[in-house]
This record gives sequence, C-alpha cells and structure tokens, in this order.
Amino acid sequence: MSTERSKAPVNHSAWNIFGNPIFRRYCRSRLRLRGLGVALLITVLISGFVFFMFRSLSLYRGQLGVADAERAALIPLFVLQAVILFILGTAQVAGGMTAERDEGVIDYQRLVPMSPLAKVLGYLFGLPVREYLMFFATLPFTAWALWQGQVPASVWVPLYTALFSSTLLYHLTGLLTGTVVRNRRWAFLASIGLVFSLYTGVPQMAKFGLVFFKYLTITPVFMESRPGMLPDNIKAMLETVARLAPEVKFFNLGLSELVFTLFSQGGLILTFLVMLCRKWRRSEANLLGKVWATGFFVWIQVLLLGNALPTVDSGELFPSGGVRIFGRGVKMDPTGSEALIMAGIYGVVTLGLLLVLGGLITPTPERQVSGWRRARKRGEGSIGVLADSASGFWFVVVMALAGACGWFLFTRGLVESRWFPGQLVPVQVLGIYALVMLAAGVGVQVLMEFKGGRSVGMAAIFLGAVPLMVGAVLGASSDRLLAMAAWLIGISPLSLPLYAPASVLGLGGLPDAIALAVPRAFYFWLVSCAVTTVWLVSRLRAARKAMARKILAEPVSGKE
Amino acid sequence: MTATPTPAIDIRSLRVDYGEFVAVDDLTLTVPRGEVFGLVGPNGAGKTSTFRVLTTLMEPTYGEVNLDGVDILEDIEEARRIIGYMPDLAPVPGDLRVWEFLDFHAAAYGLGGRAQRRERVAECLEEVALSAERNHWCKALSRGQTQRVVLAKTLLHRPRVLILDEPASGLDPLARRDMRLALNKLAAGGATVFISSHILSELAEMCTSLCVMNRGRLLASGSVDAVRAQLGSTERTLIVTALAGPKEAAAWLGTQAAVQGLRVEGQQVMFGFDGTDGAQADLIEGLLGQGIRLRAFEERRASFEDILVEVAANNRRA
Repeated sequence: MSTERSKAPVNHSAWNIFGNPIFRRYCRSRLRLRGLGVALLITVLISGFVFFMFRSLSLYRGQLGVADAERAALIPLFVLQAVILFILGTAQVAGGMTAERDEGVIDYQRLVPMSPLAKVLGYLFGLPVREYLMFFATLPFTAWALWQGQVPASVWVPLYTALFSSTLLYHLTGLLTGTVVRNRRWAFLASIGLVFSLYTGVPQMAKFGLVFFKYLTITPVFMESRPGMLPDNIKAMLETVARLAPEVKFFNLGLSELVFTLFSQGGLILTFLVMLCRKWRRSEANLLGKVWATGFFVWIQVLLLGNALPTVDSGELFPSGGVRIFGRGVKMDPTGSEALIMAGIYGVVTLGLLLVLGGLITPTPERQVSGWRRARKRGEGSIGVLADSASGFWFVVVMALAGACGWFLFTRGLVESRWFPGQLVPVQVLGIYALVMLAAGVGVQVLMEFKGGRSVGMAAIFLGAVPLMVGAVLGASSDRLLAMAAWLIGISPLSLPLYAPASVLGLGGLPDAIALAVPRAFYFWLVSCAVTTVWLVSRLRAARKAMARKILAEPVSGKE
Repeated sequence: MTATPTPAIDIRSLRVDYGEFVAVDDLTLTVPRGEVFGLVGPNGAGKTSTFRVLTTLMEPTYGEVNLDGVDILEDIEEARRIIGYMPDLAPVPGDLRVWEFLDFHAAAYGLGGRAQRRERVAECLEEVALSAERNHWCKALSRGQTQRVVLAKTLLHRPRVLILDEPASGLDPLARRDMRLALNKLAAGGATVFISSHILSELAEMCTSLCVMNRGRLLASGSVDAVRAQLGSTERTLIVTALAGPKEAAAWLGTQAAVQGLRVEGQQVMFGFDGTDGAQADLIEGLLGQGIRLRAFEERRASFEDILVEVAANNRRA
C-alpha cells in the first residue's frame, strides 16, 4: 500500500460553484435520470398547462390581443416558480442538511479540507439543485410569454433578481434550520414555517410602521413589476397606483424597490452565511460572535428607522394611511391610539430581537466553566471579552440601549409629527424605554447565563405566556375585568414595551378602564422587573466570581 | 547531538469537559511515527472525546495537540489534510454508489483530475477487497462492507495519521485479518495508526503499542507487556498434571517462594505464581528433580480483558 506523502494543494475556491465537490456530489445524487425525469416531466406539464390555459382563456374568452394574452400567463408561471424555489427548495435544503447529520456523514464533510464558506455554498446550491432545474424547466414558457408579450427587461430583470435573492435568503434559512435543529422532521417544519411566516406574518409588521420587514419578501418588487406583466387594461390601472409610491425612502435617499430589497436581504444573507461558517468551523461555536450580533442589531434598528421616519409626515406609515390612499376624498388622519400601538409594536419587535440575539451570544454555564479552565491554563485571570464562553452581558446592555434609542426616535418621529400638533416626547421617555429594555432584555439574558436555557424556558411559559393568556381571556370576558386583565398582562415582560408608550405619552385614545390601569400596572411591573434583574445581575456576578475563584484555584495540570 | 524526530501524535495536558463532567483529564501521550497504537478503555473512558479532539471535530477545554508537527488548534485546515478518520459505526450516504462516495472525497481532498481520482479510488477499493462492489449503492452494503468502504475513503488521501474508532466491528474474521494486514502495511510505509477497539485481544495482536484510559485518565501506555506490568498484572496461574503423586508435587511446591493458592484437583495441581520467567523454569526443573513424572505443564496468564475489567471495576469502586 502506498503511503507516499501527498500534500496536494487543496484549494477549492468558494466561488467556483461548479468545481465545488459538495455541489457536484449533490448534482450526482439529485440529478439521476429517473428522479429528475419525473420531476421535470411534472414541472413541464404543470407549467405548460398554466401557460396554455391562461393564454387560451385570455385570447378566446377574454378577447384580448396576442401580446396581452401571452402576458396573462406570466404571473401564474411566476407563482409556480416561486413555489418550486421557495417551498420545495427550502424544504429540501433543511431536510437534506438534517439528513446528513442524522446519518452521521456530516463528520466526513467537516473533515474535508475545504473552507467553511466553500462548504456552505456547496450545500446551498447543491441540495436544491433539482429544484433549480425544475425552475429552469419552466423558463421556456416564461421566456416565450415575455418575448411575445413584449415585456421590457426593465420589468422582468428586477423581478427575477429579487426572486433569486429571496431564494438565497430562504434556502439559507433552511440550511441554518437544518444545521441547528437536530430532528429532521422539525427542521423541515421549522424552515417551511419560517418561510410561510416571512410571507404572511412578518410583512404585516409593515402595516404598523416596521416597513423594513416587507422587504424580506419578493412582494414589493413583484408589486412594482406587476403592471408590466399584465394585459394593458389592468396594467394602466395598476401603474397609476404604483406611481403613488414610486420609490422606497430610506432617510433622505430614494431607492428603487429592488435596490432596497437587495439591501435588506443582503444583510440577512450575509449574517446567515456568517452563522453557517461559524458552525462549520466549530460545531460547538455560538451562531454569532458578540460584535457581529451587536452590529446586526444596530443595523436592523437603522433599517427600521430609515424606512419608517421619512413616511411619517405623508401619513403612509400609519395603518390608516392605506385607507386614505385608496379612498380618495376620504380624509383619515392618524389617531393617537394608532401611534401608541405602533410605538408599542416597535418596542416589542426590538425586545424580541434583543432576546434572540442576546440568546445567541450567551454562553451556557458549562461553556463558561470550560472558558475559565482554558483561561486558567493560559495563565490568564479572565476569559477574553469576545470569546464565545465570555459573558454576553455587556453586549446585551449595549443592544438594549441601542434598541431604546431606536424606539425613542421612532416614537418621537410619530408623536412629534404634523399629525399630533403640540405633542412632545420628553427626553425622560428615553430613560423609561432604556429601563424597559434593560429590565426585560437584560433580565432574560442574565437568567439564561446564570441558570441556563431551561430556566428561561420555564420563565417564558409561566411569566411570559400564561399571564398574557389569562389576562387576554379575562379582558375578553367583561369590561369590568379590564383593569385586572391589564395588571395580569403586565406581569409578562413582553407587555412592558406595549404598555410603555401608553403610560408615558399623553396621546389618549384608550378606554378609561385601561387608560387608568395600564400606567399603574406598567410602573409597578417595570420596577418589579428591574429589581428582579438587578438581583439576578448581583447573583450572576457572585456566581461568576465564585466559579472563577474555584476554577482558578484548581491545580493546573500539565504545568511543571 | 541528533534531533529528535517529530512524533506523529503529541498530546499534552489535554482536557475535555462537558460542564462539570471531566471526560478527558490531563492526557499526555506521544505516539512515534509508524506505530499502530491502540487506545483501550471501558465505556466512558474518554476515548471518543480524545478521538474527536484529535480529528478537530471538537475543541478541547485546553491542551495542546500536534499531529505530525501541526498544531491542530491553530491550523485546522492543515491538520485535516493529514488526518484520515474512520468513526465508530461508520455511516455512508444512502444516495450514492460506492465509487461516487469515494470520488467525492477524492475531489474534496484535491486528488487531481478525474482520471487520477478514478485510479486512486480503484487502488483503495482493491486494498479493502471491494473492487467488485464499485457500482453498488452504499445503502445496499452489509455492515462489514460499509466498514471497508469507509476505510477505503479514509485511505484515499494517503493520510499521515489514521484515526480509527472501532474499525473492526462488524467485520468477519477474514476481513479483520485483511484489515490488520492493511494497517501493518500502512505503518510499515510510515503512516501512524491510532486505533480504538473493544476487541482487546485483537487490538493487542494488531498494535505495536497501546495505552489504557479510564475515567478520562491515562492509566498505562507502552508495549502490551509493559502495559500489563504498569497495570500490576504479572501474575499467572500454573497447572501441573502429574502422571502419579500429585500430592507429593503439591507438598514440594508448597515450600517454594512465589507460589500461592495451591489446590489439587485429581491429577492436577493448580497454583498462582508471581515469580520471574527464570524462577518458573527453575520450578519445573525442581519438580522433575523430585522424581515427579509430569504429563503436562500449562501456564495461564490473565487475559487483557481480565486486566481491564479489573481496572475498570477498581476505578468504579474508587
């Protein structure tokens, strides 16, 4: 047997996808003639049916011209393409990744001398390679319709660019779920659930001022491109509507829907890639480093504000704005309660993000022990600030303060707008907001660092969810119970950001019973939460000191 | 003064923790090049954790690990180039044929163009006697064949350090012998094989040296005999079968040093003996000098399994 030393340079360029061994491995297994043939046959049949059906209906029943009839099939075909790439592709990526881990072959892939990025890209394009081919199989019909329908490139290029960037985003979501979630079935469900919520739940945030979330989907670009893909009679109507919002405003900039979609999705794609590369480099690593997580949090805040603030004065940002645009002549001014709800939702979303990102950078007690032992071995008196095993406390504090600032700016933008003359948001509100973020966000992070994820899970159920549910049921039962419901709901830290604007802003608009109970409940529970957090912080500090003392005092093995 | 050659595996003060549980505790071990080195220990001894650290699949709490002079904590990519790893219950992807599985790894390790890869794959398949199964689906292979395919994968890039976790499990005796020969051949060519197995007798046969771990700690290392000695087991049981007069034989043996636990069963006299090999030869000569006619003389040493079972039991008691 030859044992000749081989030091062949293994230099797989991350960007040479077609030369990527992982990509080629999936091309082999997923593009076998039998399976691929059936998949392509079904795809061609469905897309052919869709194309000819819509074309015939438009041509013979709708009495449209040839060009219009050809265009009629474009949107149904586009929906089919989106289903193939978004749903089937994402499920395949998540399921395939989990299967690799389930079967145990992932360890082989970990060991091959390829860069983490090359591995991630190999999986990203390799696992759904059949779905890409199925997508390509629909393209002849689309190309024909675009050509015969005389659809200009300025319409379809942005649309398909956004389709591709959304596909990447969702596939990365699937890859991440498949990498993190251990159970194959759960990974599949989680990825589909995420994509589904990205299309249904998350964009709804836009209605409450968080316009940024809309750009994680293909919808804005699709809406912009849609008039150009429809028969002329519908096109004219939609173009008029589209002209009302010709561009996305981002602070003082005016960007096209496509550019802003790519900008929004790009940040998320980059962050997902970083997460996956970290996991490929070291399977036990945190999903994000502390600096990246903090930066990502700030970046989201900037996007949320940059998108929202320029549209306050026009009224587009408010839920009532939509009604005003369509119902011309019907003047619907934003109300105080609208502003309160929007500010509350901004706070809840910010707190949610803080909890998620804080969770990602918080080491388990076990990792902290390992970190201290490593520090002791190196003769250091503390764990490096940026190490995964180091406390995430200060970074979460920074995020909480940044979140409070973003929330304050958003609230001030709303309340001090022309819609609420004479209203001011005093700077003290920033202090209250900061206290909310610190009490709730840092409190949960400290509990996680101190007691681990299990305790946080229990707290989330019994302090986070149960009071909300019971309070909601009570509130729904009778008006007399509204005050009690407000107090009960206030127990949940998640309610603090919702209660805060209603308690500190003098906009009114709430029913009397709630208007009285909410501020009282808010201040009481805020103080309780803050005191608990301070107590937890002191316990955590004491525990960390004790842990450090104990470990640093252990004899260092291996030292002469 | 001659420079000391770089050892193939150099582990210093390795520690692996899972929270408060210490899986590997202060492991220091050096394996010279060209050895077939066995790692033995009961379940929970820390073998798998050690292997996962060596293969860069896990970051240790601390410690230094150098493979062929490469610090695996500092230069993971380079370390991965020189490692060949075969995990326990070696899995294979069900959606690939045998040659495709191997070709994928050959490509990932950068073993040249298609023709070169095909040649290397064929070589490795021949090494593990699976050339005929080249086009079989991986999922259709038997357990033993799967093990051999993974061994072939492990050999593909001619690793300088082979790390094999229970490689012989599931192999029939013939395949085990083939594997033993293959490993010896690799070692003769300069590669170092670090291997763990529960089939201890086989490991003792296969390895040039070995080490014993228990509860994360290294108990002994060296040649098989040295390990026996370090574990304090030089005792053996001797059985003398006399043609006549076993009682006389027992009476004389009872006066000899290093003899203990004498008992007579029929024509046989059994006793423990913890003297040297020379003292044992003197004992036989003495018996014959007493005019006792011996029909047979048998020596039974505690098997390696017995020693380890005892070590594990002692540790558990401790």
